[in-house]
Amino acid sequence: MIFIIGGSYQGKTDFAVNRFGLKTDEITEGSAPYDKLTSAKCIRHFEDFVSSAAGRNEDPLELTGKLLISNPDVIIIMTEIGCGIIPIEKSERIYRELVGKTGCMIAGHAEKVIRITCGIPAVIKGETI
Amino acid sequence: MFILISGGCKNGKSAIAEKIICSGNPGRFYIATMQPFGNEAEIAIKRHREMRAGTHFKTIEKYTDIGEIDLPDKCSVLLECIGNLCANEMFSAGCSSPDEKILRDIKKLTEKTEILVAVTSQVGGDGIIYPKETMKYVESLGRLNSALANTADIVIEAVFGIPVILKGELPECLY
Repeated sequence: MIFIIGGSYQGKTDFAVNRFGLKTDEITEGSAPYDKLTSAKCIRHFEDFVSSAAGRNEDPLELTGKLLISNPDVIIIMTEIGCGIIPIEKSERIYRELVGKTGCMIAGHAEKVIRITCGIPAVIKGETI
Repeated sequence: MFILISGGCKNGKSAIAEKIICSGNPGRFYIATMQPFGNEAEIAIKRHREMRAGTHFKTIEKYTDIGEIDLPDKCSVLLECIGNLCANEMFSAGCSSPDEKILRDIKKLTEKTEILVAVTSQVGGDGIIYPKETMKYVESLGRLNSALANTADIVIEAVFGIPVILKGELPECLY
């Protein structure tokens, strides 16, 4: 599987579309129902998957582990959010930590991790593209 | 040798730092700068203690003035975390230029240590304008990180657990 990361609005989805020839209907939002994600070619805003799982009092790490087994060739796109001031709201702190932990798990699993900055890809794990 | 490790929240900074220190000689010290204020800090401290279990670190809790710590020559030190240390110097000790003070204190540590690995954090990446005091903290830590990176032999950014090299060469234990 391939993991595409970076800050907000850095061109992560555009990169995935252009590089992997994805059609619009092949990209599923992370907030979609779980059974849609198990067959998705590409999932974007995976941070929304983390927050919706946490909102249902489910463990996003456990769910992500299951998803990676049932959909082993998926392309996952996720925003990096942990580089700011620690939020005052407890739920925001938990969300931010869960995105970090889930990202570490997906990156550990991925054969390739690509970080997009200003639309420019940098491969930080795996063979260059 | 001075190695600086940066990165976002829960991105595996500590695990990388521990791997580097544990690949070297025994005589390992862990300087913990987080003050155990409240439940979440206690949970974080407990989690880090569990991560270090069995790695033979001697823990020194020091929340400010880390330059005063008495260490044996040629020891290995993991300092965690500069973000907390900077907040402690500013908000607990009332230091007006924490970046300059911490830079001096870390220089003192590097004179005594064979290897110093310092974990820092990034706080200026959310683009939000906070109250004046908080912005001063964001500025101080940003300046401090830049100054530390300038003196460091190696700078690594932990990105979802992946060590991304920003300066120098990736230590062999991280290949």
